[in-house]
Amino acid sequence: MARIGVFVCHCGINIAQNVDVEALAEYAGHLDDVVVSKTYKYMCSDVGATLIKDMIKQHKLDSIVVASCSPRMHEHTFRKVISDGGINPYRLEMVNIREHCSWTHDDRQKATEKAKSLIRGAVAKAKLLESLTPLKIPVIPNALIIGGGIAGIQASLDLANDGFKVYLVEQEPSLGGRMAQLDKTFPTLDCSSCILTPKMMEVANHPSIELLTYSEVIGLEGSIGNYNVKIKKKPRYVDIEKCTGCGDCATNCRLKDRILNEFETGMGKRGAAYMPFPQAVPLKYTIDSQHCLFLTRGKCGDEPACKKACLQDAIDFDQKEEVIDIKVGAIVVTVGYDLLDPSSLYEYGYANSPDVITTLELERLISSSGPTKGEIIRPSDKQKPKSVTFILCVGSRDETQCTWCCRIGCMSVLKHVYLLREKLGEELEINICYTDIRSYGKGYEEFYRKIRGLKTNLFRGRPSEVRDMKTYQKMDVFDTTTNKLFEIKTDMIVLAPALVPRINSTELARLLRLTLSGDGFLLEAHPKLRPVDTFVNGIFIAGCCQGPKDIQDTVSQASGAASKAANILSKPSLESEPLIAIVDEDLCSGCRLCISICPYKAIEPVEEEVNGKIVTRAKVNEALCMGCGACVVACPSGAMQQFGFKDKQLKPMIKEMSLQK
Amino acid sequence: MEKKYALFTGCMMSTEQYAYELSVRESLPTLDVKLVDVEGFSCCGEPMKSVNQLMALYLSARNIAIAQKNNLAILAPCAMCHLSLSECKHILENNKEMKDRINGMLAAEDLNYSGSIEVLHIVDLLYDKIDLETIKKHVKKPLSGLKFATHYGCHLIRPSELGRPVNSENPTKMEEILNALGAETVSYYPEKLDCCGGILQINSLESALTKTGQKLKAIQEYGFSGLVDVCPWCHRMYDARQVKAGETVATKLEVPVFYLTQLLGLAFGIKKEKLGLDLNLSPVDKLNLSEVQR
Amino acid sequence: MSIVDLTSMGEPQSELRKEINDRLSKLKDEISDYCYQCAKCTSGCEAHKLLELEPHKIVALLKRGLIDEMVNSDIIWTCMSCFKCRERCPQKIAPIEILFALKNMAVASGKEIPGKYTTFLQSILSIGAIQDIQEISTRDNKTTRRAELSLPNISKPKDLTKFQASLMKIAVEKV
Repeated sequence: MARIGVFVCHCGINIAQNVDVEALAEYAGHLDDVVVSKTYKYMCSDVGATLIKDMIKQHKLDSIVVASCSPRMHEHTFRKVISDGGINPYRLEMVNIREHCSWTHDDRQKATEKAKSLIRGAVAKAKLLESLTPLKIPVIPNALIIGGGIAGIQASLDLANDGFKVYLVEQEPSLGGRMAQLDKTFPTLDCSSCILTPKMMEVANHPSIELLTYSEVIGLEGSIGNYNVKIKKKPRYVDIEKCTGCGDCATNCRLKDRILNEFETGMGKRGAAYMPFPQAVPLKYTIDSQHCLFLTRGKCGDEPACKKACLQDAIDFDQKEEVIDIKVGAIVVTVGYDLLDPSSLYEYGYANSPDVITTLELERLISSSGPTKGEIIRPSDKQKPKSVTFILCVGSRDETQCTWCCRIGCMSVLKHVYLLREKLGEELEINICYTDIRSYGKGYEEFYRKIRGLKTNLFRGRPSEVRDMKTYQKMDVFDTTTNKLFEIKTDMIVLAPALVPRINSTELARLLRLTLSGDGFLLEAHPKLRPVDTFVNGIFIAGCCQGPKDIQDTVSQASGAASKAANILSKPSLESEPLIAIVDEDLCSGCRLCISICPYKAIEPVEEEVNGKIVTRAKVNEALCMGCGACVVACPSGAMQQFGFKDKQLKPMIKEMSLQK
Repeated sequence: MEKKYALFTGCMMSTEQYAYELSVRESLPTLDVKLVDVEGFSCCGEPMKSVNQLMALYLSARNIAIAQKNNLAILAPCAMCHLSLSECKHILENNKEMKDRINGMLAAEDLNYSGSIEVLHIVDLLYDKIDLETIKKHVKKPLSGLKFATHYGCHLIRPSELGRPVNSENPTKMEEILNALGAETVSYYPEKLDCCGGILQINSLESALTKTGQKLKAIQEYGFSGLVDVCPWCHRMYDARQVKAGETVATKLEVPVFYLTQLLGLAFGIKKEKLGLDLNLSPVDKLNLSEVQR
Repeated sequence: MSIVDLTSMGEPQSELRKEINDRLSKLKDEISDYCYQCAKCTSGCEAHKLLELEPHKIVALLKRGLIDEMVNSDIIWTCMSCFKCRERCPQKIAPIEILFALKNMAVASGKEIPGKYTTFLQSILSIGAIQDIQEISTRDNKTTRRAELSLPNISKPKDLTKFQASLMKIAVEKV
């Protein structure tokens, strides 16, 4: 004989308007084993909690039914309440009469009847609830950061300074990401390298950070507090213990200046032996296995030129890929973004002329360590341009390309206007074709005002196409501010393309079981209240991999994600929900269907001797099981059950709910 | 697959631009294309869109229904007709209500639109159905030493969401066909995608001629051997109205303008007269084609 | 409360606007409401330089419901139906289709149709094509017609009466 208490919430008018809560409570009071039945306006409030606790004490209740909102909202609240009241927190059954009833139906009478049958079912299950104890899972106080740009660097430093061991994995040979490719940052016009490099050095020198550059994450198992990660370390073919970063290998490489340099966005060239940029961290050389003559053809002259030139004997063509396993408690993903290839807007001529470039390519031209040593010259004839035209929103806010705003296009171009004026003087004609100028951040409007004062020709309109006249570029643009059509003949065109997720982020998301949002970026758990959480416990995201944003928002998110990760890592152990799967060994035939279905690899086949015979049975690893229930559904014999959702608990519930009363 | 098509001539080609029809009928049999003359066709409806779009839709639908009745796919050498018929297919296939409505009207003519047949233009017939290798095999007199600019027009290439025979921003099929015929081509010139102004002939001839003149002037300045087009409306502007167009841009225009099928026929060794080359009003003789035809 | 365009003293005609939007969604799949006036259409409009057609303005006036001033204007007849506006619009709007709708409305309201449209229509009704067989000049200043070129007879509707009847019925229907 159970002693059940039913508590029906008005939820203000959210439930009460559409469902007769008083009638519900009255009805529930007459059900078998229900000892007390109460209502209150806001059951989740302090007053509601006190009510429940008092009733537990007064009526010696042993199971509680709360009819209110979705368990996603307040199941944890009520578990805590009844636990405070002296009952096992898992002797609670929630009935959703808000999202599943009041909010979806118009007919008050019918909605109330429906709510009655829902409560009937809940009471039937409540009789059979079992007391459960949460599992304690030990937490490994290490963190993994995937992506070594400014977001990853910030998160690593925050966590390392908190005292945790941090593994920082970066797929390129050096840290730095996109910020290393920039010359100056808006709106303060700080030199990007000057503010980035000290942080990169801090990471390199930090005793708690293990830097794994030129490496990739290739496998993940486990769950929050206990992740096993496989990392592939790609071979540099250079012994980094011996390499001094002198550069003799690169100077002598037979392919010197023959390969498009990705760091320079293809505006410059490198050899097969290369350093991505002069301030690289770690300051070690790498040999590109896709192009190196020795690695692709087996022969490089009589002897590889780099090997011959290296005085430290650091070149090692016998290096192999290495796979390591690490254990961490929390992961932060900070893999950054790519730019949309403007060739998909063919009409803007990016594919036709070398003088049509992107903002990032211009950034490399502006940079004093870039392919032109900071000279602004036209890629076609190496001459200084007399006129530069910017086109914003190339592929952004576009239903046929990327529907979202890139957030940084307007400010980047305004910054470029300032820098070009500085480099090329007053005579340079600068045109901007824009649709809206989005200068929303702190100091941004002031910066926009400054640029408006710098003799810039602003056209509010978008050109339809760019015509390649070989020696110059031509376009017509309609300016809605003056209602006139302007023909612009210009020497160089700079396009501000859309920001898109990195091409390999889909694969990474699959590995980590992360969801993608409609635009392909990684999905946050809640856009307003949980912007750095994901739906996978223990994995956080920060920076542009979650959506386009500028550096200050990226750094804020990175610190936020680090703080959330520290939340987990600072505990010696975590409590995990005991609503997990369990095998009835007597019924298990060892068919292994559950093992193949489990997305978390939480079930193993275990052999044991029974009556002289060896039998295989499934065994659930409690630490890994997430309670998704897939194995329960798959099991043909009913051997697999789930705590809190056992067949013997659900069947009476269904029976009661389907009665016509 | 037998290449047998109902030839949909449309109005412009059959009543005025005879050279196109002649060259189509003469050159395609070399490639084993059989053209069938079907009774009952009418205007495709495209010029009527501005007057009554429903009527335009009806006209296209009835023509497709007739071809369907004869179990034939359609070859529409006029780009305007090709767009009208393709658009009609697109609307009727995606909007059941409209399809039922049109069928209700078609019943009065004992016709029914019931599922679609293929509608081809010369360019995708040559490039996709036949192929460049096959075309090359039949070339007896390559058009060597000639460098052509192409004019695709607007209706052949847009709107791309319907699916057009060629790419809307960087069309290359005509160039590749001309290359297979032995001629040189230029893949890009700034005015390549400009409109001929054809439709404006209906209500604003002066402006139409200015559009034509502007493009021809640029082409003349680039020094190409000639211009190649695939639509009678465009050809009418560039070829028949070339002199008048020149007046609007104060230039004496002397640009040879050909239909693609005329060049196709010439390369296959067919005589000039059979391809209607005497009907081209632009100075096609400049190219001394009989000399080229070694 | 109320909105009045002070230059024309016109008020928004929401019924007409709804009618046009319904028709656009029946024939195509687009909503003009999404236009954010980037003017890419006008920048590339083939008819803009010569005839001052501004497709983005047509869309804006439609959004505002000021239909009559467009239906009664001459500017809507300047469109060359090159489809560039539809092809390049980042919000998948087609000013060309809106213009077709406005032109159809002008015809239906009895306005005088410019140019040869009426002649074409009459010709279609009587022979099924926009014009009859033409005598044309050749390059060496002779003339010729279709029959002389050994081309087969032109395809015509088999039963002209039924054909005409169908077309006349459509002339009075709305899309």
